[in-house]
Amino acid sequence: MKHCLIVDDSRVVRTVAGRIIQDLSFTVSEAAHGAEALDMCRKEMPDAILLDWNMPVMNGLDFLRALRREEKGKEPVVVFCTNENDSEHISEAIRAGANEYIMKPFDAEIVESKFAEVGLV
Amino acid sequence: MQESTFNELADLALRNSGQHFAPTKSYLMDARLSSISRRESFATLDDLVQCLKARPNPRFEQEVAAALTSKKTSFFSERAVIEQIMGHALPERLKLSKSGKLRIWCAGVSTGQEAWSLAIRLKEEVGSPLASADIEIIGSDLSTDCVETAKRGVYGHFDVQKGLSIHRLITNFNRLDNGEWEINDDLRGSVFFRRQNLLNPASDLGGFDVILCSNVIGGLARPAQRQVLETLSKQLLPEAYIFFGADEAIEGLSDTVTPSREMRSAFIRAASSGATAAA
Repeated sequence: MKHCLIVDDSRVVRTVAGRIIQDLSFTVSEAAHGAEALDMCRKEMPDAILLDWNMPVMNGLDFLRALRREEKGKEPVVVFCTNENDSEHISEAIRAGANEYIMKPFDAEIVESKFAEVGLV
Repeated sequence: MQESTFNELADLALRNSGQHFAPTKSYLMDARLSSISRRESFATLDDLVQCLKARPNPRFEQEVAAALTSKKTSFFSERAVIEQIMGHALPERLKLSKSGKLRIWCAGVSTGQEAWSLAIRLKEEVGSPLASADIEIIGSDLSTDCVETAKRGVYGHFDVQKGLSIHRLITNFNRLDNGEWEINDDLRGSVFFRRQNLLNPASDLGGFDVILCSNVIGGLARPAQRQVLETLSKQLLPEAYIFFGADEAIEGLSDTVTPSREMRSAFIRAASSGATAAA
């Protein structure tokens, strides 16, 4: 079973996204900010990361840049999931190494479609 | 909804679009006609039907029939079929074309996503022979509202996130201030939309190298399926291809088209059909 790490400072978003992603046959773990997520990735690199942008301690973009510098840090498929819905933010995320991008609000169909785009389902 | 109302609406749909409604699908009628009912201030569909019977209005009847059709679609919903069109059908047709001009008809295109998907995919054919071909895409639908939406090329937050990769979104759409996304001008010139009832002849559209008709046939009554196949096959140029949805069963419905030997989901005009599409 594939493993997805959900990184979001909103417990509600983590719960909703977690249920959707579990229904796609993933095991799910959660982190509330980028620094916590980076620690978890250093212990066990997930197959996929659903990543918020604006979070305390370490934001999503800084986390992604740090992740991609880690040994095996290029392996996880990273899908941003954020309220930052303009082209500039999207382009910046892709330049930093994001594989896909979900604009909030989202539903199960969007998550499945985006995971399909990057070969996760 | 009264049984008589269901029967009237089912007859209306069959007459105007060939669509078949089983009695268990009356909830679909409720859902699909709610917008018209609200606009026209009908309290119930029983009232709407009574009005249609008391004051026959062909234009309103057609609008109701169009509203009853399925609008379900998304970008790249027929991804495998689009790849067959790009990888085989269009290159083969281009080899046979003296003018370098090819024509594609997306029949029953709802709000246009499948036609725009073809245009987006064609734009990605950089360096292939298709890049220099003159390829025209026509999208048609029974519903005037759908055709207008398709022409606008403006889609909502949820629409653009289903079937479109983020790369395709930011490459081919502009984000508007209201959060909607508008198709880029460079694609607009290659796609045209118009209203077309597939039960009626479409000879004024001319001949096509490729026809894509997905998620239309399956919802129709058997005689209407045959009629639509006849309409479509008559517009196929010799040795041209017609594609249906990957899950749609067409074989045995009509002898106007026959399965292609090269591609799954593809059919060609049967030699015996006697159809004569003009180039």
